[in-house]
Amino acid sequence: MLEYLTFGLVLQLLVNGILFGTMYGIAAIGLSLIYGTMRIIFLAHGAIIVFFAYICYWLFTLLHIDPYLSLILVIPASLLLGSGFYAGLFKEAAALEDKNISLLIAVGLMYLVEQLMLVVWKANPRSISTIYTAIVFRPLGINIPFTRLIALVMAVLSAFGVLFFLKKTLIGTAVRAASEDMESATLMGINPHWVNVVAFAIGIGLGGIAGVGLATVYSFDPGYGFIFAIKALIALAFGGMGNVFGALLGGILLGLLESLSSFFIGAGWADAITYGVFLLVLTFRPQGLFGGST
Amino acid sequence: MENHLLEMKGADVFYGDAQAVWDVSLYVDEGTIVALLGANGAGKTTLLKTISGIIHPKKGEILFSKRSLAHLRPQEVVDIGISHVPEGRRLFSQLTVLDNLRLGAYPPRARSRFAQSLERAYSLFPVLEARTGQKAGSLSGGEQQMLAIARALMAHPDLLMLDEPSLGLSPIFVRTIFELIKTLNNQKVTILLVEQNIHQALKIAHQAYVLKTGKITMNGSGDELLANQEIQKAYIGERWRNT
Amino acid sequence: MKDKSSIILAVLVLMAFVAIPFLIDVDTSYIGFFLFLSFCYIIISQGWNLVAGYTGQISLCQNAFFGLGAYTTALIWLHDITKTGYYFDPVVMAISGLVPVILAILIGLPLLSRLRGDYFALGTLGVQFIIQVVFLKGGDFTRGADGLHLPSTVFTSMKPYYWAGLFLALFATAVIYFITRSRIGLALRAIMEDEISAAAHGIHVLKYKIFAFAVGAFLAGISGSLFAYYLFHINPDSVLNLNWLFYPILICVLGGNGTIVGPIIGSFFITALFSLGIVYMAQTHPIVSGVLIILVMKFMPTGLIGLKDKILSRG
Repeated sequence: MLEYLTFGLVLQLLVNGILFGTMYGIAAIGLSLIYGTMRIIFLAHGAIIVFFAYICYWLFTLLHIDPYLSLILVIPASLLLGSGFYAGLFKEAAALEDKNISLLIAVGLMYLVEQLMLVVWKANPRSISTIYTAIVFRPLGINIPFTRLIALVMAVLSAFGVLFFLKKTLIGTAVRAASEDMESATLMGINPHWVNVVAFAIGIGLGGIAGVGLATVYSFDPGYGFIFAIKALIALAFGGMGNVFGALLGGILLGLLESLSSFFIGAGWADAITYGVFLLVLTFRPQGLFGGST
Repeated sequence: MENHLLEMKGADVFYGDAQAVWDVSLYVDEGTIVALLGANGAGKTTLLKTISGIIHPKKGEILFSKRSLAHLRPQEVVDIGISHVPEGRRLFSQLTVLDNLRLGAYPPRARSRFAQSLERAYSLFPVLEARTGQKAGSLSGGEQQMLAIARALMAHPDLLMLDEPSLGLSPIFVRTIFELIKTLNNQKVTILLVEQNIHQALKIAHQAYVLKTGKITMNGSGDELLANQEIQKAYIGERWRNT
Repeated sequence: MKDKSSIILAVLVLMAFVAIPFLIDVDTSYIGFFLFLSFCYIIISQGWNLVAGYTGQISLCQNAFFGLGAYTTALIWLHDITKTGYYFDPVVMAISGLVPVILAILIGLPLLSRLRGDYFALGTLGVQFIIQVVFLKGGDFTRGADGLHLPSTVFTSMKPYYWAGLFLALFATAVIYFITRSRIGLALRAIMEDEISAAAHGIHVLKYKIFAFAVGAFLAGISGSLFAYYLFHINPDSVLNLNWLFYPILICVLGGNGTIVGPIIGSFFITALFSLGIVYMAQTHPIVSGVLIILVMKFMPTGLIGLKDKILSRG
């Protein structure tokens, strides 16, 4: 097999990894916001992302709304959904000592959403084809599908957006403060519920964007949600909690890892390597590969 | 009927099932410095947390300008004019000095005055202006304490509560902090000061309370307590230890 | 804490359970399977209870230990390793419990010494996935997604399952009971309250954490072995199922975290709930599970035991 190994091939693998990795990245940023303020491992995130992929699919097949245009609908809807999740599900649980409860609520939500999708859309994988989904750029002989490139652009723009929000706005600064020390933040007059709602809403909002990205790039089915959530967690571990660009880079690193090990070792063992690296990073560098020390 | 700025009457405070404070009554008059003294674990921090709303008393009353604090959340307590500088400062170390100050002015009562408050903070603490873009965690201990106090002042409080501001600081900084407290008080800031540094605290306090295992054992003016035999024994011991 | 009336109650309940196979035909009645499944859940949940409820470490890999136990049983049987008979063989079951212990110690050492709280949970989640891959890719040894098939012709009656289940559930509860009442239990609780303080008092924190983790793994493995005897067809889908990961957590939280009786009540309750779901609402049952979990966590976070306390304190 190694006879076929060319520079171009390796480059292609790298590019594939980067392109897909940015989607893990957006999901990871969302998880980071939610975990930062509420210390909840939001395992349902992947299912929510797939849910939005299905919404995007419906908007396209039933109403003929272009996926990228659908963002105009999806983003506000996801922000609202995120606020709703917090208010309805996690508000009381976030204050409790026992983090199992929030974890279980997230799991319950995951089961719920997954099964809902199964009932409504059935188990067969869906995908979207538009005029442009088939377009592939070929610079230097490397295949770069148009939709993947756009997904990358969306991811990077979202990351910048979130970073701007966190650093330059007062509420964003409050979110960062609350992530570091919630009790101290309340002594500043910051209402923890507000901060949590904002973090949750933006987290799910990023999920909506990731969902649209997923819909345009890949075929998806209801069961994909859990795995996606886990991959997002791994990306987050690579990047370090509380580090927006770190999360994005973590996603890219994960994408690269998957792409390369899939090719050289095969899909099944590639997973083992991914989880193995995940464990190593958690154990020996829990603050992430790109962050400073906590 | 006396008009105290802050009044606590018969407060019982619990952590879960464990009682930490028994039947504590104290008051703080406007424009004064009141010191709350006692050994580690006596309950001083608990009292401050109860006033600022982090904990709620099981029994008893807490009135601020005649308004009950008993059921308010911490963020609401800040908004009615009480700022609490917690033990160990609890700065947002990953945020810049400026961000910390900005958050200090978060409550609505303070937001419109942010620019002036910032000016005032910088004039009181020039070193903060010099370090305004630096991460709070990179400041020295003394600078961090100054930032913590400046941050609390950004909320334009009527009552400023300081929990062990001199803890862990070099003797020079300790003196600076106490001078600062006096200066603030001269500028009409009412201060409730929790301290283990008995001597310095009593020198500047108008009123003082001594807390021992959750109960008030002594109270009087700063001078009265300074002259008190028991207190003298305690801080002479302290001075011996510090020489 | 176990005063006289509690002991009498426990004995009565036990006698009731012993009497059941004589009163109901466990072979034909659904109750037989229901109780057996509940016993399996009791065993694995008591294990998780020790790790999370008494030592404060949230572990997310009990399904991996469960699956390991199941596969070990299957492999020993199929490859005729111990030459001891196999069907409900205590030796095989004991070994099936010990194999996960080895894994627990291997991963416990690095993870427990360096990771706290959520990070530890994430680490165990990662481990669980690695185990899945190992089973899927185990080639001829584990037969991938299809898995291993045990000779189902040996199945004659539910009765041995009932007795074995009852015995092991009792065993698991007894193990947890005695550990938590011993000095080890005291140490575990100290660790849960305040690790640093516990260490300052001379408690070897890592040793006790690994101990709890290993016991939890042992019980999960035994439960897996027991279940394997029922299933006969062991594959990742059935024994590494997320249900074996999340239901024990739900059971313990619902029944009352950090209690002995909690996992027992929780197991019966949850198994009943979800059995009813499968029987009466097959299509929508998983949606109901999700909703149920959310509702319970929102309104009864202290669990059924907490609820009982609340009701009693009003009266």
